[in-house]
Amino acid sequence: MFSKDAKLEKFKDAETVIGSSIKVKGNFQGQGNIIIEGSLEGSVKTDASIYIGNQAKIVANTESKDVIVNGEVRGNIKAKNYLAIGGTAKIFGDLQYGEISIEKGAVINGQLLMLSDDHKRQEKTKTIAEEKENMIEK
Amino acid sequence: MHVYIYDDYLNKSKYHKIINRLEIRLTDLGLNGKIIRLEGIKNIKNAIQNEIKLGAKTIIAVGNNQTVNKIIGAIIDTDLYGDFQKKTLLGIIPVGDDNSIAASFGIKNGEEACNILLARRIEKIDLGLVGNHYFLNQASIQSLGTILEINDYSLEITEKGEIKIINLLNDKDINIRSNPHDGLLDIYIKTKRKDQTYLTAQKLKITNHTEKLVIDGVLEIATPTEVGIIRDRVNIIVGKERMFE
Repeated sequence: MFSKDAKLEKFKDAETVIGSSIKVKGNFQGQGNIIIEGSLEGSVKTDASIYIGNQAKIVANTESKDVIVNGEVRGNIKAKNYLAIGGTAKIFGDLQYGEISIEKGAVINGQLLMLSDDHKRQEKTKTIAEEKENMIEK
Repeated sequence: MHVYIYDDYLNKSKYHKIINRLEIRLTDLGLNGKIIRLEGIKNIKNAIQNEIKLGAKTIIAVGNNQTVNKIIGAIIDTDLYGDFQKKTLLGIIPVGDDNSIAASFGIKNGEEACNILLARRIEKIDLGLVGNHYFLNQASIQSLGTILEINDYSLEITEKGEIKIINLLNDKDINIRSNPHDGLLDIYIKTKRKDQTYLTAQKLKITNHTEKLVIDGVLEIATPTEVGIIRDRVNIIVGKERMFE
Protein backbone atom coordinates (compact mmCIF):
# COMPACT_ATOMS: atom_id res chain seq x y z
CA MET A 1 0.00 0.00 0.00
CA PHE A 2 1.30 3.49 -0.77
CA SER A 3 1.94 5.28 2.48
CA LYS A 4 3.21 8.76 1.73
CA ASP A 5 3.84 9.80 5.33
CA ALA A 6 5.69 6.62 6.23
CA LYS A 7 7.84 6.91 3.14
CA LEU A 8 8.54 10.61 3.67
CA GLU A 9 9.81 9.89 7.19
CA LYS A 10 13.01 8.35 5.80
CA PHE A 11 13.63 11.47 3.71
CA LYS A 12 13.56 13.73 6.76
CA ASP A 13 17.36 13.66 6.83
CA ALA A 14 17.91 13.47 3.06
CA GLU A 15 21.51 14.13 2.04
CA THR A 16 20.47 15.96 -1.13
CA VAL A 17 17.48 18.22 -1.75
CA ILE A 18 16.83 19.86 -5.13
CA GLY A 19 14.30 22.70 -4.63
CA SER A 20 11.54 23.71 -7.05
CA SER A 21 13.48 26.69 -8.49
CA ILE A 22 16.49 24.61 -9.51
CA LYS A 23 17.22 23.15 -12.95
CA VAL A 24 19.74 20.32 -12.95
CA LYS A 25 21.37 19.22 -16.20
CA GLY A 26 23.71 16.26 -16.56
CA ASN A 27 24.44 13.02 -14.78
CA PHE A 28 23.44 13.59 -11.19
CA GLN A 29 24.93 11.01 -8.89
CA GLY A 30 23.96 11.69 -5.30
CA GLN A 31 24.98 10.10 -2.04
CA GLY A 32 22.29 8.91 0.31
CA ASN A 33 18.63 9.84 -0.05
CA ILE A 34 17.67 12.42 -2.67
CA ILE A 35 14.59 14.64 -2.79
CA ILE A 36 13.81 16.28 -6.14
CA GLU A 37 11.22 19.07 -6.30
CA GLY A 38 12.74 20.94 -9.27
CA SER A 39 13.59 19.89 -12.81
CA LEU A 40 16.30 17.51 -13.94
CA GLU A 41 17.58 16.54 -17.38
CA GLY A 42 20.08 13.74 -17.89
CA SER A 43 20.24 10.89 -15.40
CA VAL A 44 19.92 10.45 -11.65
CA LYS A 45 21.36 7.66 -9.58
CA THR A 46 21.94 6.78 -5.93
CA ASP A 47 22.41 3.66 -3.82
CA ALA A 48 19.72 4.84 -1.41
CA SER A 49 16.27 6.31 -2.16
CA ILE A 50 14.86 8.98 -4.47
CA TYR A 51 11.72 11.00 -3.78
CA ILE A 52 10.29 12.85 -6.78
CA GLY A 53 7.90 15.57 -5.57
CA ASN A 54 4.66 16.53 -7.29
CA GLN A 55 6.14 19.73 -8.81
CA ALA A 56 9.19 17.94 -10.15
CA LYS A 57 9.81 17.45 -13.86
CA ILE A 58 12.36 14.80 -14.68
CA VAL A 59 13.62 14.04 -18.16
CA ALA A 60 16.06 11.36 -17.16
CA ASN A 61 16.64 7.73 -16.41
CA THR A 62 16.34 7.13 -12.68
CA GLU A 63 18.03 4.36 -10.73
CA SER A 64 18.14 3.64 -7.01
CA LYS A 65 17.08 1.20 -4.31
CA ASP A 66 13.67 2.76 -3.59
CA VAL A 67 11.88 5.36 -5.70
CA ILE A 68 8.77 7.35 -4.81
CA VAL A 69 7.20 9.27 -7.70
CA ASN A 70 4.64 12.02 -7.31
CA GLY A 71 5.72 14.25 -10.21
CA GLU A 72 6.36 13.95 -13.94
CA VAL A 73 9.05 11.59 -15.22
CA ARG A 74 10.03 11.15 -18.86
CA GLY A 75 12.53 8.33 -18.83
CA ASN A 76 13.00 4.85 -17.44
CA ILE A 77 12.88 4.12 -13.72
CA LYS A 78 14.72 1.26 -12.06
CA ALA A 79 13.93 0.70 -8.38
CA LYS A 80 15.92 -2.33 -7.27
CA ASN A 81 13.81 -2.70 -4.17
CA TYR A 82 10.56 -0.74 -4.06
CA LEU A 83 8.78 1.61 -6.44
CA ALA A 84 5.88 3.69 -5.09
CA ILE A 85 3.82 5.70 -7.55
CA GLY A 86 1.56 8.40 -6.11
CA GLY A 87 -1.78 9.59 -7.49
CA THR A 88 -0.26 12.76 -9.01
CA ALA A 89 2.53 10.93 -10.87
CA LYS A 90 2.86 11.02 -14.65
CA ILE A 91 5.39 8.58 -16.01
CA PHE A 92 6.40 8.18 -19.66
CA GLY A 93 8.94 5.39 -19.66
CA ASP A 94 9.57 1.80 -18.67
CA LEU A 95 9.57 0.73 -15.03
CA GLN A 96 11.68 -1.97 -13.41
CA TYR A 97 11.08 -2.77 -9.76
CA GLY A 98 11.36 -5.35 -7.01
CA GLU A 99 7.99 -4.44 -5.54
CA ILE A 100 5.50 -1.81 -6.67
CA SER A 101 2.51 0.12 -5.39
CA ILE A 102 0.39 2.41 -7.57
CA GLU A 103 -2.08 4.95 -6.22
CA LYS A 104 -5.34 5.73 -7.99
CA GLY A 105 -4.98 8.62 -10.46
CA ALA A 106 -1.40 7.87 -11.53
CA VAL A 107 -0.59 8.00 -15.26
CA ILE A 108 1.87 5.41 -16.55
CA ASN A 109 2.83 5.11 -20.18
CA GLY A 110 5.41 2.38 -20.54
CA GLN A 111 6.26 -1.21 -19.76
CA LEU A 112 6.25 -2.59 -16.26
CA LEU A 113 8.86 -5.22 -15.51
CA MET A 114 9.31 -6.91 -12.18
CA LEU A 115 12.96 -7.68 -11.47
CA SER A 116 13.62 -11.41 -11.16
CA ASP A 117 14.03 -13.06 -7.77
CA ASP A 118 17.66 -13.74 -8.70
CA HIS A 119 18.21 -10.05 -9.28
CA LYS A 120 16.49 -9.17 -6.01
CA ARG A 121 18.49 -11.83 -4.16
CA GLN A 122 21.70 -10.40 -5.59
CA GLU A 123 20.70 -6.92 -4.45
CA LYS A 124 19.72 -8.22 -1.01
CA THR A 125 23.03 -10.08 -0.63
CA LYS A 126 24.86 -6.95 -1.74
CA THR A 127 22.95 -4.84 0.80
CA ILE A 128 23.63 -7.28 3.66
CA ALA A 129 27.32 -7.41 2.71
CA GLU A 130 27.45 -3.60 2.64
CA GLU A 131 25.72 -3.37 6.01
CA LYS A 132 28.21 -5.85 7.50
CA GLU A 133 31.06 -3.86 6.02
CA ASN A 134 29.66 -0.65 7.55
CA MET A 135 29.30 -2.33 10.94
CA ILE A 136 32.90 -3.53 10.81
CA GLU A 137 34.05 -0.02 9.86
CA LYS A 138 32.12 1.42 12.82
CA MET B 1 54.34 31.69 23.51
CA HIS B 2 51.08 33.50 22.72
CA VAL B 3 51.02 36.19 20.05
CA TYR B 4 47.97 38.45 19.92
CA ILE B 5 47.24 40.15 16.59
CA TYR B 6 45.10 43.27 17.12
CA ASP B 7 43.19 44.53 14.08
CA ASP B 8 43.40 48.19 12.96
CA TYR B 9 39.94 49.18 14.06
CA LEU B 10 40.63 48.36 17.70
CA ASN B 11 42.56 51.63 18.09
CA LYS B 12 39.23 53.49 18.10
CA SER B 13 38.46 54.92 21.52
CA LYS B 14 35.22 52.96 21.88
CA TYR B 15 37.22 49.74 22.06
CA HIS B 16 39.84 50.91 24.59
CA LYS B 17 37.83 49.85 27.62
CA ILE B 18 37.06 46.41 26.15
CA ILE B 19 40.70 45.84 25.24
CA ASN B 20 41.89 46.92 28.70
CA ARG B 21 39.46 44.51 30.32
CA LEU B 22 40.57 41.68 28.03
CA GLU B 23 44.25 42.30 28.74
CA ILE B 24 43.64 42.23 32.50
CA ARG B 25 41.69 38.98 32.16
CA LEU B 26 44.40 37.37 30.02
CA THR B 27 47.07 38.38 32.54
CA ASP B 28 44.98 36.95 35.39
CA LEU B 29 44.74 33.66 33.52
CA GLY B 30 48.49 33.61 32.79
CA LEU B 31 47.84 33.89 29.05
CA ASN B 32 49.62 37.17 28.42
CA GLY B 33 51.94 37.35 25.43
CA LYS B 34 53.26 39.52 22.68
CA ILE B 35 50.90 42.02 21.04
CA ILE B 36 51.15 42.94 17.37
CA ARG B 37 48.95 45.77 16.10
CA LEU B 38 48.09 45.51 12.42
CA GLU B 39 47.88 49.28 11.96
CA GLY B 40 51.04 50.37 10.27
CA ILE B 41 52.10 46.84 9.30
CA LYS B 42 52.29 46.59 5.53
CA ASN B 43 53.27 42.94 5.27
CA ILE B 44 51.12 40.96 7.67
CA LYS B 45 52.39 37.70 6.24
CA ASN B 46 56.01 38.49 7.10
CA ALA B 47 55.13 39.71 10.57
CA ILE B 48 53.30 36.47 11.39
CA GLN B 49 55.93 34.28 9.78
CA ASN B 50 58.58 35.93 11.93
CA GLU B 51 56.59 35.17 15.06
CA ILE B 52 56.27 31.52 14.07
CA LYS B 53 60.03 31.39 13.44
CA LEU B 54 60.57 32.88 16.89
CA GLY B 55 58.53 30.06 18.40
CA ALA B 56 54.95 31.33 18.66
CA LYS B 57 52.79 28.39 19.81
CA THR B 58 49.44 30.18 19.51
CA ILE B 59 48.48 33.02 17.18
CA ILE B 60 45.37 34.79 18.43
CA ALA B 61 43.24 36.96 16.16
CA VAL B 62 41.75 39.83 18.17
CA GLY B 63 39.04 41.45 16.07
CA ASN B 64 36.40 40.14 13.66
CA ASN B 65 35.96 37.87 10.61
CA GLN B 66 38.24 40.08 8.56
CA THR B 67 41.02 39.78 11.14
CA VAL B 68 40.76 35.98 11.12
CA ASN B 69 40.85 35.93 7.33
CA LYS B 70 43.93 38.16 7.20
CA ILE B 71 45.73 35.87 9.61
CA ILE B 72 44.62 32.60 8.01
CA GLY B 73 45.77 33.95 4.65
CA ALA B 74 49.11 34.97 6.11
CA ILE B 75 49.72 31.69 7.83
CA ILE B 76 48.58 29.25 5.17
CA ASP B 77 50.24 30.90 2.22
CA THR B 78 53.71 30.25 3.53
CA ASP B 79 56.62 27.86 3.35
CA LEU B 80 56.35 27.59 7.09
CA TYR B 81 52.99 25.92 6.77
CA GLY B 82 54.34 22.57 7.97
CA ASP B 83 55.59 24.16 11.18
CA PHE B 84 52.31 25.95 11.68
CA GLN B 85 50.35 22.77 11.30
CA LYS B 86 52.48 20.91 13.80
CA LYS B 87 53.14 23.55 16.38
CA THR B 88 51.09 26.68 16.08
CA LEU B 89 47.40 26.99 16.94
CA LEU B 90 44.95 29.67 15.95
CA GLY B 91 42.80 31.30 18.64
CA ILE B 92 40.13 33.98 18.24
CA ILE B 93 39.04 36.81 20.54
CA PRO B 94 35.99 38.49 19.00
CA VAL B 95 35.60 42.24 19.49
CA GLY B 96 32.76 44.25 17.94
CA ASP B 97 30.50 43.18 15.06
CA ASP B 98 30.95 40.69 12.17
CA ASN B 99 32.12 37.82 14.28
CA SER B 100 30.29 34.90 12.70
CA ILE B 101 33.49 32.83 12.52
CA ALA B 102 34.03 33.08 16.28
CA ALA B 103 30.33 32.28 16.82
CA SER B 104 30.72 29.10 14.75
CA PHE B 105 33.50 28.03 17.09
CA GLY B 106 31.30 28.68 20.12
CA ILE B 107 33.12 31.88 21.10
CA LYS B 108 30.42 34.43 21.94
CA ASN B 109 32.42 37.29 23.47
CA GLY B 110 35.86 38.41 24.53
CA GLU B 111 35.66 37.25 28.11
CA GLU B 112 34.47 33.79 27.10
CA ALA B 113 37.25 33.71 24.50
CA CYS B 114 39.84 34.08 27.29
CA ASN B 115 38.43 31.05 29.13
CA ILE B 116 38.34 29.08 25.88
CA LEU B 117 42.01 29.92 25.23
CA LEU B 118 42.82 28.61 28.70
CA ALA B 119 40.84 25.38 28.17
CA ARG B 120 42.70 24.83 24.86
CA ARG B 121 40.15 22.56 23.19
CA ILE B 122 41.60 21.96 19.73
CA GLU B 123 39.85 21.01 16.48
CA LYS B 124 41.31 20.45 13.03
CA ILE B 125 39.17 22.35 10.56
CA ASP B 126 38.82 22.21 6.77
CA LEU B 127 39.48 25.39 4.84
CA GLY B 128 37.46 26.56 1.85
CA LEU B 129 39.46 27.86 -1.08
CA VAL B 130 38.45 30.34 -3.81
CA GLY B 131 41.36 31.03 -6.15
CA ASN B 132 44.17 31.99 -3.76
CA HIS B 133 41.82 33.04 -0.96
CA TYR B 134 40.91 30.87 2.00
CA PHE B 135 37.68 30.95 3.95
CA LEU B 136 36.50 29.40 7.17
CA ASN B 137 32.75 30.09 7.16
CA GLN B 138 31.25 30.45 3.72
CA ALA B 139 31.21 32.01 0.29
CA SER B 140 27.89 33.46 -0.89
CA ILE B 141 26.37 34.84 -4.09
CA GLN B 142 22.94 35.92 -5.34
CA SER B 143 21.10 32.94 -6.77
CA LEU B 144 19.30 34.34 -9.84
CA GLY B 145 21.39 33.78 -12.94
CA THR B 146 24.02 31.74 -11.14
CA ILE B 147 25.19 28.46 -12.60
CA LEU B 148 26.99 25.90 -10.45
CA GLU B 149 28.99 23.20 -12.20
CA ILE B 150 29.74 20.11 -10.13
CA ASN B 151 31.31 16.93 -11.54
CA ASP B 152 29.12 15.84 -14.48
CA TYR B 153 26.17 18.12 -13.87
CA SER B 154 25.18 21.76 -13.52
CA LEU B 155 22.60 23.62 -11.45
CA GLU B 156 20.82 26.72 -12.69
CA ILE B 157 18.78 28.78 -10.25
CA THR B 158 15.74 30.54 -11.67
CA GLU B 159 14.62 32.58 -8.64
CA LYS B 160 16.04 35.44 -6.57
CA GLY B 161 17.68 34.33 -3.36
CA GLU B 162 21.07 33.39 -2.02
CA ILE B 163 23.53 30.56 -2.53
CA LYS B 164 25.83 29.73 0.36
CA ILE B 165 28.86 27.51 -0.06
CA ILE B 166 29.45 26.50 3.55
CA ASN B 167 32.54 25.09 5.19
CA LEU B 168 31.66 26.02 8.74
CA LEU B 169 28.03 26.76 9.59
CA ASN B 170 27.38 30.06 11.39
CA ASP B 171 23.59 30.28 11.16
CA LYS B 172 21.49 28.15 13.49
CA ASP B 173 18.42 28.75 11.30
CA ILE B 174 19.95 26.73 8.48
CA ASN B 175 18.86 23.21 9.24
CA ILE B 176 21.62 21.16 7.66
CA ARG B 177 24.23 18.81 9.06
CA SER B 178 27.38 20.70 8.23
CA ASN B 179 30.68 19.20 9.23
CA PRO B 180 33.96 21.15 8.87
CA HIS B 181 35.99 17.93 9.11
CA ASP B 182 34.45 15.95 6.24
CA GLY B 183 36.37 17.45 3.32
CA LEU B 184 33.07 18.53 1.73
CA LEU B 185 31.47 21.89 1.02
CA ASP B 186 27.77 22.18 1.82
CA ILE B 187 25.84 24.01 -0.88
CA TYR B 188 22.71 25.64 0.50
CA ILE B 189 20.32 27.60 -1.72
CA LYS B 190 17.31 29.49 -0.42
CA THR B 191 15.13 31.40 -2.85
CA LYS B 192 12.22 33.81 -2.48
CA ARG B 193 9.91 30.97 -3.43
CA LYS B 194 10.89 29.69 0.04
CA ASP B 195 12.17 26.41 -1.30
CA GLN B 196 15.49 25.11 -0.12
CA THR B 197 18.18 23.17 -1.89
CA TYR B 198 20.98 21.32 -0.22
CA LEU B 199 23.81 19.19 -1.55
CA THR B 200 27.50 18.58 -0.97
CA ALA B 201 30.54 18.76 -3.24
CA GLN B 202 34.32 18.69 -3.03
CA LYS B 203 34.69 21.36 -5.66
CA LEU B 204 32.54 23.40 -7.98
CA LYS B 205 32.66 26.18 -10.53
CA ILE B 206 30.46 29.25 -10.03
CA THR B 207 29.39 31.55 -12.84
CA ASN B 208 27.29 34.71 -12.60
CA HIS B 209 27.89 37.50 -15.09
CA THR B 210 26.52 40.29 -12.89
CA GLU B 211 27.02 39.30 -9.26
CA LYS B 212 30.21 38.64 -7.29
CA LEU B 213 31.03 35.87 -4.86
CA VAL B 214 31.57 37.16 -1.31
CA ILE B 215 33.94 35.28 0.99
CA ASP B 216 33.14 35.30 4.72
CA GLY B 217 31.23 38.54 4.16
CA VAL B 218 34.50 40.36 3.53
CA LEU B 219 36.09 39.82 0.15
CA GLU B 220 34.36 40.08 -3.26
CA ILE B 221 35.52 37.86 -6.11
CA ALA B 222 34.37 38.01 -9.73
CA THR B 223 33.12 34.85 -11.41
CA PRO B 224 33.59 32.41 -13.10
CA THR B 225 35.65 30.99 -10.29
CA GLU B 226 36.35 27.63 -8.71
CA VAL B 227 35.63 26.82 -5.08
CA GLY B 228 37.32 23.92 -3.35
CA ILE B 229 38.18 22.60 0.08
CA ILE B 230 41.34 21.50 1.85
CA ARG B 231 40.75 18.92 4.54
CA ASP B 232 41.83 19.44 8.17
CA ARG B 233 44.07 22.33 7.21
CA VAL B 234 44.15 24.41 10.34
CA ASN B 235 44.20 23.75 14.11
CA ILE B 236 41.85 26.04 15.98
CA ILE B 237 41.06 26.54 19.66
CA VAL B 238 37.28 26.16 19.97
CA GLY B 239 34.58 26.46 22.62
CA LYS B 240 32.26 23.81 23.99
CA GLU B 241 29.25 25.47 22.33
CA ARG B 242 30.64 25.23 18.80
CA MET B 243 28.15 24.67 15.96
CA PHE B 244 29.58 21.31 14.88
CA GLU B 245 30.66 17.99 16.36
